[in-house]
Amino acid sequence: MRNTTDATSPFVLWIDDPSAAGNRLLGGKFGSLAEMTASGFAVPLGFGVTTAAFWHFLDAAGLAAQAADVRARARAAELAEVQSLSAEFKAVVEAAPMPADLESAVRDAYAELGRRTGRDGLPVAVRSSGESEDLAGASFAGQYDTFLWIRGADEVLAHVRRCWAGMFGPAVLTYRPEGGPDAVGAEYGICVGVQQMVEARSAGVMFTLDPVTGDRSKVVIEGCWGLGEGVVSGGITPSRYVVDKVTFELVHQQVQRQATKFGFDPQRGAVAEVAVDADLTEAPCLERDQITELARLAKTIERYRGAPQDIEWAVSEAGNLHVLQVRPETVWSRRQAEQLVTERKSAVGHVLARFAGVGVTSGGGRTS
Amino acid sequence: MTSTTPRPTADDAPAPAVPGKRFPSPFSIETPPGAEGWQSMYPYYALLSNERREFDDGKFWFFDGMHNPEPLYPFDTIMTENWWVAVSQMSTRVWPIPLAGGIDHRIINGYLYVSPNAITDQQAIAERAEEFTRRAGHYYENWDKIYEQWVAKATDCIKRLEAIRFAPLPDREPESRVFDHRGLYSSYDLLRDYGRLIDNLFEMGSYHFEMLNLGYGAYLTFREFCQAAFPGITDQTIASMVSGIDIMLFRPDDEVRALAKLAVELGLSDVLLAEEDPDAALAAVARHPKGEQWLEGFEKAKDPWFWFSTGAGYQHSDRAWIDDLRLPFTAMRGYITSLLAGEDIRRPLDEILAERVRVTEEYRSYLPTDADRESFDGLVELARRVFPFVENHNFYVEHWHHSLFFSKVRELGDVFVAHDFLDDREDIFYLHRNEIYSALYDLNIGWATGTEARGVTYWRPEVERRKRIREALKAHPPLPALGVPPEYITEPLTVMLWGITQESVQEWLGSGDSDGSELRGVAASAGKATGRARVIVDPEQLHEVQDGEILVCRITAPSWAPVFSRLSAAVSDVGGIMAHTAIVCREYGLPAVVGTGFATTALRTGQLIEVDGSAGTVRVLEDVSA
Repeated sequence: MRNTTDATSPFVLWIDDPSAAGNRLLGGKFGSLAEMTASGFAVPLGFGVTTAAFWHFLDAAGLAAQAADVRARARAAELAEVQSLSAEFKAVVEAAPMPADLESAVRDAYAELGRRTGRDGLPVAVRSSGESEDLAGASFAGQYDTFLWIRGADEVLAHVRRCWAGMFGPAVLTYRPEGGPDAVGAEYGICVGVQQMVEARSAGVMFTLDPVTGDRSKVVIEGCWGLGEGVVSGGITPSRYVVDKVTFELVHQQVQRQATKFGFDPQRGAVAEVAVDADLTEAPCLERDQITELARLAKTIERYRGAPQDIEWAVSEAGNLHVLQVRPETVWSRRQAEQLVTERKSAVGHVLARFAGVGVTSGGGRTS
Repeated sequence: MTSTTPRPTADDAPAPAVPGKRFPSPFSIETPPGAEGWQSMYPYYALLSNERREFDDGKFWFFDGMHNPEPLYPFDTIMTENWWVAVSQMSTRVWPIPLAGGIDHRIINGYLYVSPNAITDQQAIAERAEEFTRRAGHYYENWDKIYEQWVAKATDCIKRLEAIRFAPLPDREPESRVFDHRGLYSSYDLLRDYGRLIDNLFEMGSYHFEMLNLGYGAYLTFREFCQAAFPGITDQTIASMVSGIDIMLFRPDDEVRALAKLAVELGLSDVLLAEEDPDAALAAVARHPKGEQWLEGFEKAKDPWFWFSTGAGYQHSDRAWIDDLRLPFTAMRGYITSLLAGEDIRRPLDEILAERVRVTEEYRSYLPTDADRESFDGLVELARRVFPFVENHNFYVEHWHHSLFFSKVRELGDVFVAHDFLDDREDIFYLHRNEIYSALYDLNIGWATGTEARGVTYWRPEVERRKRIREALKAHPPLPALGVPPEYITEPLTVMLWGITQESVQEWLGSGDSDGSELRGVAASAGKATGRARVIVDPEQLHEVQDGEILVCRITAPSWAPVFSRLSAAVSDVGGIMAHTAIVCREYGLPAVVGTGFATTALRTGQLIEVDGSAGTVRVLEDVSA
């Protein structure tokens, strides 16, 4: 929130900076990734254009008061009005001048990222990382922007600005999950993460519990060929692997045929749906030991974060695993835990009842 | 024995199989050519009959290939007859078990079919549950003490069996028999000892089931809880949280490891590695200066640990290690070679125990509420308390007692050979136990009168006839199930021992259309393997197994362990999670699919097959010409 920043806060904070882990200047998503980086997880290198930069931009353009006003009006407005409010203000944000000190900080950081990764004009992913997301158990998944395969400082700057404008999209202005924080009522800032692109051979998401049953002894991995956008956006039906978190046995797998994938299309110079190599369309996008490796990674992250997580991952062409995003699982974690046993009784009591046809658990357990 | 072949009339034709719905009527099963009159080998009460047709025809019968993969030898029906009563009485008369009645038996074409009876009347279930709670509750609450008493009873029973001796009757009673005024002579002793032998089997048979259902029930309850809480958790993992690390079934193998170590220490490695034949190896050891010390250790290990059956222990043909030392000697040579290569052959007990603790604690940590964790703690504790009995009873009963019992019957076979009734001691197994009683009386008559007993000319041709019949029956493998399957299968032994579940029955019902290139079963041990099939229906064939082959059998026995190190996977027709052998088989970490129903008949030796122990499937990749 506004009052957590001050004039001395940096505009750019590297994900591997000693002060980055969990720093609120990086927003929820990127702050978590900085934490993962600090703990040695394989997170692609990058920097955050901090929430301080966002406020600096609004202040310099004289838009801070108007931003608060738009949010307040959107709270009470009908959808049509929200849409026009949003479109209007987004145009204002996109047209506003970028302060010179901020612009040069971003340009310098991008150049530095190229040096550190050994690749000039490095393709990066530009993603919003809101202060409000991932807080208090509300998932803002899909409500903020992600831009992939962005190259060159000008493009990076343009997409940082688009992420800022995205803060005033109709979905964000009206997103109020049941029981969640009244996100739009408070003054939340936004950080924009700029990270090296993982040219994924396969990618996807994984949960450290079974999202369908809430069973915490499983890791459920969903993945596809190419970039994970297909899985995240729901455009590609992912293959699904259910792994026992204790023994790492593959309990269940459902491999989907996949004809197209998300990847960099050199002709269009952008990420697009491209054909999957013919010999891979029927093949599982993960090898058996990669599945185990991912499940181990999920388990380690969950232990480290102390609660069930929802993790975006990618496997590079070289076969290395990368963590693209971690956030707390929100559905089951917020739910009141449901007792499995029908009745509290002694073990002998349970067994005797079982002989009489009364199961220990009701309705055969978690099969819903 | 009375023979009652059912002869249905045309308008009363037995029901055929209906795919997906029912199996053929037991009355539709025809006698294979050459096996006519097979019924005469078995007791009248074990046969189908027109008088009980309505009952027999309305039931679901499944083939008990786990205990009796082959057509029963007339004598060996003593084992099945024993548990027909001993298991059933616990369910119906002793506890009683609220939902389960007794288990019926029928012998059809020499194969044993069984059919559990369920209790469905709600009033009856409630009444039974009340008594059951009191009686079974007493056993659970005092389990450790009762198990201790059980071990004492079982050991005493075995000691008394050991003491029984059979010898041919003397030409003349010794003088002592006259001067001690006993008034009883060898003829009486022979009958008395035979009576004791049979009583001893039924005594152990009763102990066998004293606690078993309760043990299985406690384990099943824990298993169901785990399956509900952690859908997809494997049986192997559930068992790993409960099973002991120092159970008696591991002991024979541990003894072999110790003998291998002793051989290396005494410098006997070369001697033992040079001779494949156990007798030759033993003779060579005896000639060695340090041989005596090893032989002493060997003799000590042998009794009781080599009373370790190569089968389920229900057929006399399941020879124990002690009868045929090739299996333990093969294993021992393997261990000696490993030791010489500097390997550690000890089982990593600390690691296994630490892993058990880790797995249990982790699953516990994933439970949603305190009430669930409390139930989990209680159930895992109870399952662990009952498991020493569940796992160890097997060694006492099936291995030690049954193997010793069959060896005593062979001793009696020698008596018949000595009195010219039979050519071979093994032929005694072609007589039913009640026929043996008659034959002994016949023998006594001949001995007493000094004239030729009727049996001298009666039994040889009869045994020959029965051998021919049995061979004909053996060439016609049984169907896995007959009759009408029940809506629900709840009887605990059916599920736990035979692995027969709603799913497996559906699988069998539907498999009428299958082309035989894929079999489904219970995923018993994870992993995938491809290799040549080796179909084994007789433990004698075990020595034919080549490295890397996939064992295809009716059911495995723990004592086959030495062969397992050569396999790449295993497939069986029958078996559930608690089948006598599953416990040990898991230790080898081989992919395994059990309870396939038909593997030994659907697959042929030499076929290239793929076993997926995670999915529970077996596929034929490449056929061989028949």
